[in-house]
Amino acid sequence: MSVTTQTRSAQKTLAPWMRSLVGGLVTALPVILIGIVILLFAPAYLVRVAFAAYVNLLIVLGLQIFMGNSMVANLGQGAFVGIGAYSVAILATPVAMKKLSIPDAPFGLADIVLHPALAAGAGLGITGLIAALTGLVIARLSGEAATIVTFSLMMVVHSIFIQWTDLFKGAQAFFGIPQVVGLATAIGAATLATIIARLFKDSASGLHLRASAESLLAARAFGVDVFRLRLLAWILGAVICASGGILYAFFMGTINARAFHFELVMTTLAMLILGGMRTVSGAVFGCIALALLLEAIRSVESGIAVAGFQLPPLLGLSGLAMGAIIVLGMTFRPRGIFVRLELDELLWRLFARRQPRAITEGKPI
Amino acid sequence: MDYAIQQGLNALAFGSEYALIALGLALVYSIMNLMNFAHGEIIACAGYSMYLAILIGIGSPWLVAPIAIAAGALVAVLFERIAFRPVRHAPTTTGLLTALGVSIVVQNLLTLLISPRPRAVPVFSELSRTIFIGPYAISLLQLLELAVVALAIGGLVLFLKHSTLGLAIRAATREFSTVRLMGIRANRVIATAFALSGLLAGIAAIFIIARRGSIDPTFGFQPVIKAFIACVIGGFGSLGGAVLGGMLLGFLDVAIIVLLPQEYGGLRDAIAYSIIAGLLVWRPEGLLTRRIELGDKEI
Repeated sequence: MSVTTQTRSAQKTLAPWMRSLVGGLVTALPVILIGIVILLFAPAYLVRVAFAAYVNLLIVLGLQIFMGNSMVANLGQGAFVGIGAYSVAILATPVAMKKLSIPDAPFGLADIVLHPALAAGAGLGITGLIAALTGLVIARLSGEAATIVTFSLMMVVHSIFIQWTDLFKGAQAFFGIPQVVGLATAIGAATLATIIARLFKDSASGLHLRASAESLLAARAFGVDVFRLRLLAWILGAVICASGGILYAFFMGTINARAFHFELVMTTLAMLILGGMRTVSGAVFGCIALALLLEAIRSVESGIAVAGFQLPPLLGLSGLAMGAIIVLGMTFRPRGIFVRLELDELLWRLFARRQPRAITEGKPI
Repeated sequence: MDYAIQQGLNALAFGSEYALIALGLALVYSIMNLMNFAHGEIIACAGYSMYLAILIGIGSPWLVAPIAIAAGALVAVLFERIAFRPVRHAPTTTGLLTALGVSIVVQNLLTLLISPRPRAVPVFSELSRTIFIGPYAISLLQLLELAVVALAIGGLVLFLKHSTLGLAIRAATREFSTVRLMGIRANRVIATAFALSGLLAGIAAIFIIARRGSIDPTFGFQPVIKAFIACVIGGFGSLGGAVLGGMLLGFLDVAIIVLLPQEYGGLRDAIAYSIIAGLLVWRPEGLLTRRIELGDKEI
């Protein structure tokens, strides 16, 4: 029995779902470690920045669940982030505050207030419901049509946020949301979402869906119900995106419809594709890489002192660098950082390769 | 009745602008499967070339317009050479993201080098004059736009039908590998498609500038989003579909503005995009694509 098969069998002694769970944890490890370091040592402003990054990570993971498995490009995730955020804003904001900001809210919403946890649950439920309804249509489509319909969905939802001022305060900021979560919650949520995304990817449903992305006709011929699986992935992805929105609202205390629009969609999409959309590790590392880079450049952009000289603020520099990174990243790694294998799978391979070498060199293992 | 005709002309003018941009997108897409998000920046660069031309003292519209068109074609070819050639064989999402990256780079370069604020380009103010044909007051700009777009589309059709390179492009939209087997250089076909799309973008830039009178770095964004949707409605990759989709979108825009009561003005986008989504659910492959053409890519 060769060493390679030995490590394989070691890998196989775990039940498949356990392996996915461990794999998800390994992938989430940097997320947890970075989070802990920031929690312990970083100044307050950095905590805010990190929180935004964790919210982005949740959205990227939500995006990966649908896009990475079905390979249908989605430009509509901003809608669900917004729905999640506005749900908790409307449900959890104290009545006194709502009398000020949305006194004419329909359905008596101005007079009720829910516990934040309850509101968050309701937000996830509402998002799941809306995702299920829209998914009935979107799961039937493919290619560019699906992409444009998801984009249309976001535009429609955004218009409603802006137009329905009685409920959403329109283009103005919705303020007074209880600030009940901190960075630790976001780290926990991101870890959980990473594991969920990985479990879904490795589940039978995820495998069937990925097969349908390779060849729709072949998958159908094998009896895969593509519509049902896409719907499932769409709803799951939407709920995870919404959880990002909910955390964002509970952390910031103030939300604005503009935050859930095209810019968010593009940033998160870039993170996912740069990392490699087929893998959960790609989603995680694409998000970490781009978030770190953007923050570094942003500090240069606002004008820093280099060797005693105060550089002038360079408006547009962060955008320029982000665009350049995207173009270069795509040129040198067209399929992203993690193309097919997850982080833990790559690590397995690395060990499996190292051991035979140790044998040929006559070293004890 | 007069009002209806007036609005109809308006819709035609909007529609022809969308059609022009959508044609450029469809040309590139049909060959490379690339959703070129950077098309808006080609338009913006063409627009800024006019601004710079005026800055160095070229004031005549007859000189500025050709400069814009040439700049559009040049920028498009440059984008292809620098950014899109390396990702030619990569999956569609890679091309999409590259295009997005190019678009972000160019937008920010324009912000850094020129200004984030709008700059006036007053060269085509002559065109906003109104002329009277019988009882109808028509803006010269709209008339000219219709004529030029018709000419441009006619010219494009002639080129595609009656030149070797045009034939190669049309063949490449069906089966690129066979075109290469016939001894046609892939690079030349793709560069020509990009140049043509840049040319059309340059023409579009002239009319957008003539209507708005100023330019800013995000200049090309809105029209290109609309043109994208026009392409998808018409059937992505079908040139006729792009024109049809553009015209439809023009009429939809004007109809919503005319028919929607003032107080619901904010819902304009919501209604437009609902109709678009409805159209796509009804005909997911677009209005003018025959199913058989999709072959393996079906669904």
